[in-house]
Amino acid sequence: MDGFRGVMVVVVAVALGLSTIAAPASAAIVGTEQMLSQNTARQDVDTFLARAEVQKQLQAWGVDAADAQRRVATLTPDELQMLNAQIDELPAGAGALEVIGVVFLVLLILELVGVTNVFSAI
Amino acid sequence: MLLGACAGPETRHLREQTQAVELAAVPFHPQDEYQCGPAALATLLGADGLAVSPDELVPEIYVPARQGSLQAEIVAAVRRRGRVPYVLAPHIEAALTELHDGRPVLLLQNLGTRALPVWHYAVIVGFDPQTQTFVLRSGRERRQALSARRLLESWDRAGRWMLVTASPGEPPASAQAGPWLRAASAFESLGAFEPAAAAYRAATRRWPDAAMAWTALGNVLAQQADWPQAYDAYEQALANGDDGPLLRNNRAWVLAQMGCRDAAMDEIDTGLRAATPAQRATLGDTREQIRALQSEAVCPR
Repeated sequence: MDGFRGVMVVVVAVALGLSTIAAPASAAIVGTEQMLSQNTARQDVDTFLARAEVQKQLQAWGVDAADAQRRVATLTPDELQMLNAQIDELPAGAGALEVIGVVFLVLLILELVGVTNVFSAI
Repeated sequence: MLLGACAGPETRHLREQTQAVELAAVPFHPQDEYQCGPAALATLLGADGLAVSPDELVPEIYVPARQGSLQAEIVAAVRRRGRVPYVLAPHIEAALTELHDGRPVLLLQNLGTRALPVWHYAVIVGFDPQTQTFVLRSGRERRQALSARRLLESWDRAGRWMLVTASPGEPPASAQAGPWLRAASAFESLGAFEPAAAAYRAATRRWPDAAMAWTALGNVLAQQADWPQAYDAYEQALANGDDGPLLRNNRAWVLAQMGCRDAAMDEIDTGLRAATPAQRATLGDTREQIRALQSEAVCPR
């Protein structure tokens, strides 16, 4: 436990040290993503909030807490804003191995008349 | 037929093809249950020389309650492995270009209808113009032959989303400057300056006239405090016609860091005159920071 704490202290110290060294050098530079983005007035705090929201949603959908944290850490400000705004409506590719009930019947009919190809993909 | 109508020009393009292509060496990972996202992504990464199992990808991209994977998370998983996730232009032509260049294409399909969507990820590895058939790694099928009509319909119903992976130094054959720079800029935003710089440099070689490629290169160099090289890149961006206020802002900061406060003040004021209200706050902050710096005399002009 002490060993782990020691490691964490070093990690945090290094992270803080790096950020204080790096911050002044690039403080005024507008990044490329922001230049290409429509939303040029974006604030860091918006990104922070969006990241927290998306992480919360992933956890609510059964993603392990530590995994959810790692996952949102590698999404960009633009991606987080987009996910936060529309995560409920976004497609989540699932695969067509199981479809149930009414949906099954409707899809089966559509399949037979040649509109879809759910079942041929299995 | 209604759905077919959306795919008219695409169908015509496929009928004009003469050469068959199939990337037989692309690996296959049969999917378990709902996990077509991890299986398709493992297939794509494997073809790019990154041996990853679908199981390793599950904690990265699978969402249990949605029984699927989100596009943005697939994109992020590609980036975590140092590859650029490049979303293709929404035309089937782009997929054929990539296949002929040796790159398999991950696509999102809607196998149901618009009202009752059944989302599915698969990887296109081939196309045969003679039979108008695509070859996919899909679900539990190593070699699914799918008619062009069905593929186009399911792809169109899913928003025409297709993805390839590329090394930062090598933009895909169908890539265009804007989308490539946007894909690479994610690395920069996340502090991964090395792949971002490599991708921007590749863009300046592939599209030397694109001002934004030089601006982006300048940005990533400036964030690494490489002032003289950043300055050179911004000069090239200016020469290529980028004189936007945000470029002026960054160039002013680089000049200030090189010790040229007066030139930096001129630059930021030029930017401020053209700035939108939203940009004025950013440029105003930079101006204040520059004004507070000590001035010295060694300047590039």
